[in-house]
Amino acid sequence: MSAAVSPSEVVTDADRRARDELAHSWKDAPGFWGWLTTVDHKRVGKRYIVTAFIFFLLGGIDAALIRLQLARPENGLLGPDAYNQVFTMHGSTMMFLFAVPIMMAMGIYFVPLMIGARNVAFPRLNAYGYWVYLIGGTLLYVGFFTNTGPDTGWFSYVPLAGPDYSPGKRVDLWAQTVTFTEISALITAVELIVTIFKHRAPGMTLNRMPLFVWAELITAFMVLFAMPWVATASLFLASDRLIGTHFFNPAEGGDALLWQHLFWFFGHPEVYIIFVPSLGMISQIVATFTGRQVFGYTAIVLANIAQGFMAFGLWVHHMFATTVPQLGSSFFTATSAMIAIPSGVQIFCWIATIWAGRPRLRVPFLFVLGFFVIFVIGGLSGVMVASVPFDTQVHDSFFVVAHLHYVLLGAVFPLFGAFYYWFPKITGRLLSERMGRWQVALFFTGVNVAFFPMHFLGLDGMPRRVYTYLPETGWGPLNLVATVGAVTIACSVALFLVNVVRSLRNGELAPDDPWGGDTLEWATTSPPPPYAFVHLPVVEGRGALWSRTEARPSVTGLRTDSREALVTTLVDALPDSRFHHPDPTIDPFLTAIATGAIFIALIFTPWGLPLGGILLLVTLTAWAWPTKKEHAKQVKQEAEVLP
Amino acid sequence: MKRQEEPEVQRGAVDVRQLPTTVFGHRDPLWWGTMGFVAIEGTTLFIAVASYFYLWRNTGTWPPQHTLRPSLLWPTISLAVLLLSNIPIRFLARAARRLDAGAVKRWLVVATVLSFAFLFLRWQDLLSLNVRWDTNAYGSIAWLTVGLHATLLVANAGEFAVFTALFHSSRRTERHLGDAVDASVYWHFMTGIWAPLYAVVYLGPYLI
Repeated sequence: MSAAVSPSEVVTDADRRARDELAHSWKDAPGFWGWLTTVDHKRVGKRYIVTAFIFFLLGGIDAALIRLQLARPENGLLGPDAYNQVFTMHGSTMMFLFAVPIMMAMGIYFVPLMIGARNVAFPRLNAYGYWVYLIGGTLLYVGFFTNTGPDTGWFSYVPLAGPDYSPGKRVDLWAQTVTFTEISALITAVELIVTIFKHRAPGMTLNRMPLFVWAELITAFMVLFAMPWVATASLFLASDRLIGTHFFNPAEGGDALLWQHLFWFFGHPEVYIIFVPSLGMISQIVATFTGRQVFGYTAIVLANIAQGFMAFGLWVHHMFATTVPQLGSSFFTATSAMIAIPSGVQIFCWIATIWAGRPRLRVPFLFVLGFFVIFVIGGLSGVMVASVPFDTQVHDSFFVVAHLHYVLLGAVFPLFGAFYYWFPKITGRLLSERMGRWQVALFFTGVNVAFFPMHFLGLDGMPRRVYTYLPETGWGPLNLVATVGAVTIACSVALFLVNVVRSLRNGELAPDDPWGGDTLEWATTSPPPPYAFVHLPVVEGRGALWSRTEARPSVTGLRTDSREALVTTLVDALPDSRFHHPDPTIDPFLTAIATGAIFIALIFTPWGLPLGGILLLVTLTAWAWPTKKEHAKQVKQEAEVLP
Repeated sequence: MKRQEEPEVQRGAVDVRQLPTTVFGHRDPLWWGTMGFVAIEGTTLFIAVASYFYLWRNTGTWPPQHTLRPSLLWPTISLAVLLLSNIPIRFLARAARRLDAGAVKRWLVVATVLSFAFLFLRWQDLLSLNVRWDTNAYGSIAWLTVGLHATLLVANAGEFAVFTALFHSSRRTERHLGDAVDASVYWHFMTGIWAPLYAVVYLGPYLI
């Protein structure tokens, strides 16, 4: 037999020694200090997922408040000011603090495992990204709970968000939160790209990469070119408010529409940044639960890439109600309709896979089936609003609210499916199937009951962002129905929480591969050890596990007494060099604190930049300077290179 | 034991013990990381230029009336210095690639001096704009474009100062030579991108 990949396969003495040494080399310090200093992508990824999910719950509470307020005409639960804050918090939380972070977080946890790596390429940067994100999200909610919650909508249009119409610090907090989350997303994107390019297991050529890894790679590239737009826009906005620049002030040659262009050039790709990873999750779930490779691998990858490019050519369809030239509008109508093509290609590929396979109707698969319905409805209303005459009729109405929730919740269905699918890998325990089925049913019903009536409300003229309406409008009954739907969604999410808590306590223990999956994360124990694999796997075909031969080749010769990783070539994944990963360190945390100090101080004074900058220089120097121990390890590693 | 022992059956095993630990350019993960940040910063500067042109069409004249055009003397000097600085940086990268730590140390000192000289020159560049950031939108976008690029210069100066100190300390290892090559690639980007920015911000107002 060959060398063990999973710790559960270890039978020889040599493997046993390797496993024990690896466990020692890759372990974190115990207790709170270990929690603070860890650079393990699994621990960082897990806390990313948990944090983003907490923000999902907070954003969900915001949503529930909105729906309760609108449940009947002239309701007095929330006043106009509180309502403005709540809907802004809901949108900002869901987009900036939940959707993008959780999709990236799933990548942080699973991409290294799926490509057979021990960690991400830059583990310290990874930890730093998380802390910056946490500081940003906390800042927004501290503001909200101290009556400084932003109140100008998640896209914070100027001039409303400018210094004249929004005095005080509410919008500044929003702008800085955006900056924090963008820094964190950009860092994660670079992290994932380099990890995928350079740390794939030998044999995992680009055209053998799991589809989820492809999806995360494409998403990371989109983040790279989309996030700087909103970061720059929020910089413009903050400086208009703080140091008196005139980017958006028409009286001095500025332009309010510039904000919309900058924001939506980010904002539209953002939708796909959320959506593309969930497409990757669907591909993994469909393959596993039909027991066959996904039909049309190349077509799906190309469709994903096409979506990545096209997503950057749609932004003006958010601005049809402004003075965009007609020719421009026509172009953006065409591109908006065109993106339905790659989306359709993927749907047909999955249908073909299900058709030819033997579907097992387990909970992750049920969520995927729910996605098909929700996404097709959202896609169809998307093609409708791509048309300028139709869009100008329903612009800023509840029709748009219905459309965007169908699309975005379309991405949440596979995400919940992925939670059920990968929960055993992360925790070592399976979620309850029975409760899961109830959750799917409640979620599917809730989403449709909450959002389908909104199409009619919009067509009937109900505008977005009104805190109440008169009984004479006749909007009361459908709003009440929508609120019942929202309560149903809340019940579904509550059921999920109960399921998680119960399963963590006494759920069924999960083996290495509870579903019979095809990807490398199933080739190690559940949960995986810090070093992931005893011997790094070698991939022999597109299906990493299903095409594994009896030889079960693996990598030998990597050090086990220090954190050594393998670097492979970009296209063919041929072994190319050895790379030393850093030990746990407090530096990322301290650097994040310094970064936080700069941006929070900047809300109040421009002097925050030089003063915080000095602090940042100190922490970054400590980061770059090798400790004695690290130095010794590196010297030892280099001394052993054979000529 | 330092390395994993041979598995009992050799069939299909991939032995990586002879692979190098110091590699350069695209073979080095850190080089890709640097490229990622080049993409992010390049996009940000592109956005600044796009916004510059967007705001340009809002006024009949550019710069707007009663606003002086930028002075060209200092900005042109600093452009020349930035571009010429690539020559010593090239020597730095070459020395690193041939694992000549002594030469790298010397060129790093030159690079650090240059990177701090850039900061002085950049201050002159900002003064040469002849407009304040809060005068009008023209002033805002001109300051922002030059200022954004200045943040790269500041970060670069900090990085090279620390790097030089590290190379002169006992904590240096061969692996840092790869980092030196990556830093030189970033230097080429940072100085090269200034040429189009200079053309837009300093020469643009003279075109109309």
